[in-house]
Amino acid sequence: ANTIYGAIRGLETFSQLCVFNYDTKNVEVRYAPWYIQDEPRFAFRGLMLDTSRHYLPVDVIKQVIDSMSFSKLNVLHWHIIDEQSFPLEIPSYPNLWKGSYSKSERYTVEDARYIVSYAKKRGIHVMAEIDVPGHAESWGNGYPKLWPSLSCTEPLDVSSNFTFEVITGILSDMRKIFPFGLFHLGGDEVYTGCWNLTPHVKQWLDERNMTTKDAYKYFVLKAQEIAIDLNWIPVNWEETFNSFGGSLNPRTVVHNWLGPGVCPKVVAKGLRCIMSNQGVWYLDHLDVPWEQVYTAEPLAGIDDTAQQKLVLGGEVCMWGETADTSDVQQTIWPRAAAAAERMWSQLEAISAQDLETTVLARLHYFRCLLNHRGIAAAPVTNFYARRPPIGPGSCFVQ
Amino acid sequence: MPPKLLTHLILALVAVSGAAAARRHPAPANFTASGNPVYIWPLPKNFTSGTQTLAVDPDLALDPQGAGGGAAAVAEAFERYRHLIFSPWAHAARPASAGYDVARLTVVVASADETLELGVDESYTIYIAAAGGANSIVGGATIEANTIYGAIRGLETFSQLCVFNYDTKNVEVRYAPWYIQDEPRFAFRGLMLDTSRHYLPVDVIKQVIDSMSFSKLNVLHWHIIDEQSFPLEIPSYPNLWKGSYSKSERYTVEDARYIVSYAKKRGIHVMAEIDVPGHAESWGNGYPKLWPSLSYMRKIFPFGLFHLGGDEVYTGCWNLTPHVKQWLDERNMTTKDAYKYFVLKAQEIAIDLNWIPVNWEETFNSFGGSLNPRTVVHNWLGPGVCPKVVAKGLRCIMSNQGVWYLDHLDVPWEQVYTAEPLAGIDDTAQQKLVLGGEVCMWGETADTSDVQQTIWPRAAAAAERMWSQLEAISAQDLETTVLARLHYFRCLLNHRGIAAAPVTNFYARRPPIGPGSCFVQ
Repeated sequence: ANTIYGAIRGLETFSQLCVFNYDTKNVEVRYAPWYIQDEPRFAFRGLMLDTSRHYLPVDVIKQVIDSMSFSKLNVLHWHIIDEQSFPLEIPSYPNLWKGSYSKSERYTVEDARYIVSYAKKRGIHVMAEIDVPGHAESWGNGYPKLWPSLSCTEPLDVSSNFTFEVITGILSDMRKIFPFGLFHLGGDEVYTGCWNLTPHVKQWLDERNMTTKDAYKYFVLKAQEIAIDLNWIPVNWEETFNSFGGSLNPRTVVHNWLGPGVCPKVVAKGLRCIMSNQGVWYLDHLDVPWEQVYTAEPLAGIDDTAQQKLVLGGEVCMWGETADTSDVQQTIWPRAAAAAERMWSQLEAISAQDLETTVLARLHYFRCLLNHRGIAAAPVTNFYARRPPIGPGSCFVQ
Repeated sequence: MPPKLLTHLILALVAVSGAAAARRHPAPANFTASGNPVYIWPLPKNFTSGTQTLAVDPDLALDPQGAGGGAAAVAEAFERYRHLIFSPWAHAARPASAGYDVARLTVVVASADETLELGVDESYTIYIAAAGGANSIVGGATIEANTIYGAIRGLETFSQLCVFNYDTKNVEVRYAPWYIQDEPRFAFRGLMLDTSRHYLPVDVIKQVIDSMSFSKLNVLHWHIIDEQSFPLEIPSYPNLWKGSYSKSERYTVEDARYIVSYAKKRGIHVMAEIDVPGHAESWGNGYPKLWPSLSYMRKIFPFGLFHLGGDEVYTGCWNLTPHVKQWLDERNMTTKDAYKYFVLKAQEIAIDLNWIPVNWEETFNSFGGSLNPRTVVHNWLGPGVCPKVVAKGLRCIMSNQGVWYLDHLDVPWEQVYTAEPLAGIDDTAQQKLVLGGEVCMWGETADTSDVQQTIWPRAAAAAERMWSQLEAISAQDLETTVLARLHYFRCLLNHRGIAAAPVTNFYARRPPIGPGSCFVQ
């Protein structure tokens, strides 16, 4: 390999070539000689983990990182904070993590660094997210001034300098922890109604002749500047593109999630894109069978090769409302593996396979391999994800 | 603390300290009832605590003492617990000039004998105090035990006393000084795993064994084989494991030995089961007519008890099969007689191999008087069985399916917790015949993806029932004290990477209903 990370990918493949023979009790490589030349189709092959809706202990995040490495996923998008809880230590604003669910459902800066280092050893990037200005109610537990008012606890107060001081503090602290070039600033589901209903915010808007929609744009762009000053490339959820795509910093990576057909529009505007179309790659949508995950194509609708290059890759998203330590891996696997192959392997090769014979057999085998390595991958053929097996049987057929 | 319990504790402490004084630190002159729930699971037999907070050195050193202190099993256990107590970055982050209240953990093990057999002494004491305090002479932490297995139990308790403080970023022991004297109520505290309905890879069995050790469960009842699959290598009958689901869903004898050894390091026995004559359809895949060779298994499974099954024996087709019918007629046997014949014959084979046979309760219900007197009867069909078994002088294990079958998802943790192995048995001699109990994780819908989520946290409720003192656990309020402690233990399991399900869900192994803290779900 050219780099140690290529070697690490190769080691994973090598480990899958080694099979234990129960007759001879030897480990064997069958169908030798092998000559494999491999590289990924997309550079960005992500899994998003949500540790705000449920705190996931460091040991669990390590398990997830291990399982990612088995299918060559290489970006852990860490959605650390959201409305419900703020679990991360921010030294410059030490009250922020008072928004954690409890004193022990927290990550110290050492924990976060350790996770980054654990992932790096496996060639996995950690892309942190601070979702602003929506999805940030938990921030006010430590600093109530961040709430426009006690009856308007979300989005963050756009009219206040303090808000941006805090964001600057958070990002500065996080820059020392997360070396990955991309930083996710969120920007989704921003319901600005109560900005208008909060007198001091309304006044601020009027003074600047801004609508709440203008203020949303203002907020996102200002946050982007802070990230860019810290030498980050900002990633934002697609509403930012849908609302004011032309104003986004040209470095922006747009993160599609609302539906299909978005990346074509993004790359046509010269911006980069990550695909997470919720109809197929949201892992908390339990009624999406593996076949739909597998056949979702990040380059769908993009024929121009220059524009195709602007699609960095994609990401399956494990939202945490009903995913905690007890069921997170069971929900992620095996469907994340279907997306992993879509993002790593060559388009023609995977399209040529018969889904319900060849791919199914291979996915069954991989599911059993995950189980063998202690990963709680769910049965492949269940209709709904993360359901128990319907009865006794072999992992190769369930 | 209720006055009666207080008296109990004082008396217990006086009794213990008398023996203790000869070789150990004296008990504290006074003790504090903290009034807070004690977040140790299962609840120790005797303990006193205080109001101090002690900082524990991330470079905590093991100081082994006594004839057994130097055992490799103790050093290995200490390393495992070190990784559970301290974050991986703790050593690197340790300030050079720091002073800690607890820098050394002294582990004194009286006996060098590492034999693990049912009834081995699992008692231990823990003493944690700051140096120079009014209540102590020597500062630091000490675990004392008669055997290495007691020391391992003590290490588990010690690990639960160590809590990470997110303000100081130190690991601390709160409510010190602690004086704990602990031992289990029952010697047999089991979890049954079914690897026939679903093959469980060795790595998964290891995870289960680890989680058992966290709640001091000490018998892994390995229901290896059943109708659907035969996954274990039997060298003298090498075609038997053709009954496995697939070539790779198998356990070699080396795998089995490894599991036994892995369990032993955690003081956990492995009781294997070959369920005969029912539940054995998978055997026919390899050998149409057959008899088990138990002698090879004797070399793999050193535990004194061996489970021979004997449940759900539907003998109808014996009558319909000509050569079997003929055999019955020649001996003037009914199929029920033949069932008894089979079970007793299997028992003899086990006994010849120096095993104590365990059989499911149908054998007792059908021909209890004929069972070998060494038999341990394994109750499962319902309540009120062990009283009848022990009245006949036989030993009993309780697994009443109404409360301790983990595949019964509609049994809430409270029912698991309040199930009492000695219910209905007042005679103390007969009470001694109840070895303990077992929660059973039948595998029809439990595979690698959901087995731990189904076992925990309810198995913990049974674990405390089987370890802790009856009066102490009965004295707690279920929906406040016990629930808070069980919530804490569930979060501890999660913290250690065990997929314990939410405590308060109505059905077991369901996902959390929405966002929230592990302490309330």
